[in-house]
Amino acid sequence: MTPQQTMEQRAAQAATTDGAPLGETHLTGEQFGELMGGTTETASPEVAMAKAHLLVCEQCSAEFASLREAISLFREASNAYADEELRSRPRWILPARRSHSHSLIPAYWVAAAAMFLTALLPLQVMRRHSVIPPAASVSSVAVSNAASDTQSDEALLEDVNSEISASVPTSMQALADPTADASTVNNKTSVPTTNQRKE
Amino acid sequence: MAFEGVQMFPSTSVSLGNEERATPLDDLENVVAMYQPRVFRFLLATLRDHDAAENLTQETFLRAWSARASFREDCSLATWLIRIALNLARDHTRTGRFRFWKRVTASAVDVAEVAAFVPTHEGSAEAHLIAKQQVAGIWETVAGLSARQRSIFLLRFMEEMEIPEIATVTGLPLGTVKSHLYRALAIIRAQHNYSPSSTAPRSTTLRKATTKETE
Repeated sequence: MTPQQTMEQRAAQAATTDGAPLGETHLTGEQFGELMGGTTETASPEVAMAKAHLLVCEQCSAEFASLREAISLFREASNAYADEELRSRPRWILPARRSHSHSLIPAYWVAAAAMFLTALLPLQVMRRHSVIPPAASVSSVAVSNAASDTQSDEALLEDVNSEISASVPTSMQALADPTADASTVNNKTSVPTTNQRKE
Repeated sequence: MAFEGVQMFPSTSVSLGNEERATPLDDLENVVAMYQPRVFRFLLATLRDHDAAENLTQETFLRAWSARASFREDCSLATWLIRIALNLARDHTRTGRFRFWKRVTASAVDVAEVAAFVPTHEGSAEAHLIAKQQVAGIWETVAGLSARQRSIFLLRFMEEMEIPEIATVTGLPLGTVKSHLYRALAIIRAQHNYSPSSTAPRSTTLRKATTKETE
């Protein structure tokens, strides 16, 4: 028999001998709360009385057990639900700690240097291989440009030659036949009127 | 700060001067791994919103890390973190924005989802169904408690904190904590007794003590 049980039995005896049988009244809300929620003062006389009442009152005892079981299920279900919910969410990314970063600094530099060299090497190789082809391409472009220039020059010279060899140059054709297209000539050479001057 | 699945904390590699003492928060990675589920559970049950719970969980650790120098270790780290989480949740629920989004949010916790996690220890399918109904009933009743009653109830019965620890977290006197806890229990007890799935006998004594506290 534990001291706690002894206390509860004494409380039960005291309550019965006081003329208020434990089975006739039920636990108050405060007593119920102390039983359910209180954890630190379980040895207090009030709690001992309430516990003693549970021993003799089936109704309160069943109600207490039922509520305690329901709250226990509530805790288990809520925790399981929250844990599952947390698992389904993305994990937080925490930066590396300083001790780790110190040890990784040389590795970072080595990796960076390797990447730099890896990027530089193909450029050098490409430069070596591309020395001649650009020259060839430049010369071919120059040759093609020279050919086209020659053609245009020849065409220009041909035009000049035909111009010179004509009996009346184009610029002098208007003088060669004064009657032809006289109206246009007159319009072009007409004296501006007063109104036109003002404008 | 919890956006797009990638969430960052400030680097813990910031140099701690010689004048700064070491705190448990210096090893943030381990602290998060150890206490994140607990903080998240509490916030989820308090706010009943996945996204808000996750955001405030991260905010809790951010605040804790920022204020790590003020952690005097006069209480456990878990108590300190839950206290920060509780204050954040309180501030969060006070805003009108929270009330608005609570009505329309898609990330609110569905009570059926929670009840689905009722463990199947033993018993018939009927017993399991009754257990699910009981859990759903408690979940909904807890939602109807006042903010203070709900916090204290969750700290006591979900986090299984002792009364003095709850007093430390909430900053309330022991008697006030007990008073809120007993009132919360009375309301839950009344709901439990009147629920169709309850196996407990109806107690006439208790009906008087189940008026909801108005804060």
